[in-house]
Amino acid sequence: MEQTARPKLIDENGRRLDGRGPTDLRPLRIEVSVLEKSDGSAYVELGKTKVFAAVYGPKEAHPKHLSLPDRAILNCRYHMTSFSTDERKTLGMTRREVELSKVIREALESVVFLEEFPRSAIDVFIEVVQADGGTRTAGLTAASLALADAGIPMRELIAAVAVGKVDGRIVLDLSDVEDKYGEADMPVGIAPRSNTIVLLQLNGKMTKDEFRQGLMLAQMGIQKIYQAQCEALRKKYESSMREA
Amino acid sequence: MPIYFSEKEVVLPGQLLSDDSRRAGEGTYVMDGKVYASTVGAATIRDGKVEVITFKGPYRPAAGDMVIGVVSDIKPIGAEVDLGGRITALLKIRNVRELTSLNLKIGDVVYAKVASSGLRGVFLELNDQFKKINEGVLLMMTPTKVPRLIGKRGSMISMLKKVTGCNIMVGTNGLVVVNGPSPAKEFAAISAIRLIEREAHSQGLTDKVLAHVSSLVGGEAKHGADGKA
Repeated sequence: MEQTARPKLIDENGRRLDGRGPTDLRPLRIEVSVLEKSDGSAYVELGKTKVFAAVYGPKEAHPKHLSLPDRAILNCRYHMTSFSTDERKTLGMTRREVELSKVIREALESVVFLEEFPRSAIDVFIEVVQADGGTRTAGLTAASLALADAGIPMRELIAAVAVGKVDGRIVLDLSDVEDKYGEADMPVGIAPRSNTIVLLQLNGKMTKDEFRQGLMLAQMGIQKIYQAQCEALRKKYESSMREA
Repeated sequence: MPIYFSEKEVVLPGQLLSDDSRRAGEGTYVMDGKVYASTVGAATIRDGKVEVITFKGPYRPAAGDMVIGVVSDIKPIGAEVDLGGRITALLKIRNVRELTSLNLKIGDVVYAKVASSGLRGVFLELNDQFKKINEGVLLMMTPTKVPRLIGKRGSMISMLKKVTGCNIMVGTNGLVVVNGPSPAKEFAAISAIRLIEREAHSQGLTDKVLAHVSSLVGGEAKHGADGKA
């Protein structure tokens, strides 16, 4: 049987495969209002991970019996395009995508003022165009921006990033290879203003100390992403104000 | 009482605006006695309240709003009215005869007052302000920019009506009906509305719109003269 050798993920100088240090993010690019037909949209690019998010609504909930009398329902769909991965992903929602849709929805529900729109529905679509690790966190980052762009009232934005354990070191923002061959992967979503954790998953093994260290590192990365989010939103709306 | 923003600054959800919870206005929320922005928008102080004027966003019906809608269904209890594709309201009637006397059909455009909006849905009032709109061009604009189209004490809308000679009905929900003497004048009014929507946050907008409309209406007059010759 063919065996693939496990690649050395961190070299003697402490550099990772793509040349990053353990606490570096991949190059980050964020844009808002990228899709014309949606009420709000955002694009997040983290290295080779590329994600779009679009928000539609609030609109009337269909079917009607699903609507809630006191607040809006939030529908969330995290989906990877079939060409986003190395091996073609079959169409439709896989188990993994259904689960991620749920955790992202729950993270978003904690910041959106759903009670302002009784009996309606807000649709959030997250489409992964290219996947290289950290798609759920990039998706959540994009979705919170798209909601803000749609003018939906919310407590604050959400930024998310993954941390993990690779070759015995705690590193920030895992790539696909590091996720596959590393020891642990922990996606973290935080609402930065109140510093509340809205998403936390852990795959693999970490000691208590490593977990703490990872969480600290994630908070640091999230601050950087949050700055970029704010900058993207301000840039978009300040430019539209200047034009006027 | 400290304020943490400069006038007309672009603020983001979760941004701290003030320490005084009594000053919380539109587009803000209070947590632990502090006022934060809940939407992206321009922060301002109006009547002592801290407000965030949103750039775009959904229409939220409130009692007393005058709205324009399209009849989407006729039911025994009243007519269902579509307020811009997102919300449907119910025009309540006292008896069936009232509904038949209105002679409403699906697709009719109506102008009505919101009686109530809450957990049971949105209801429209059938009072003397209720109107069936029979002619005109129906267009949709961002609901958050409707106050700009109306202007201070209706200054913008009355100017538009005067210069273009069109009758313009504005619904708080963002639907607008323009009805004018000629297509060219209607076009001038629509083009002005689009200009207001695009540049809602600029200063001296009334003058800009006036200049824009005057050039269009003037052009139309010249065009009409050419047509005769």
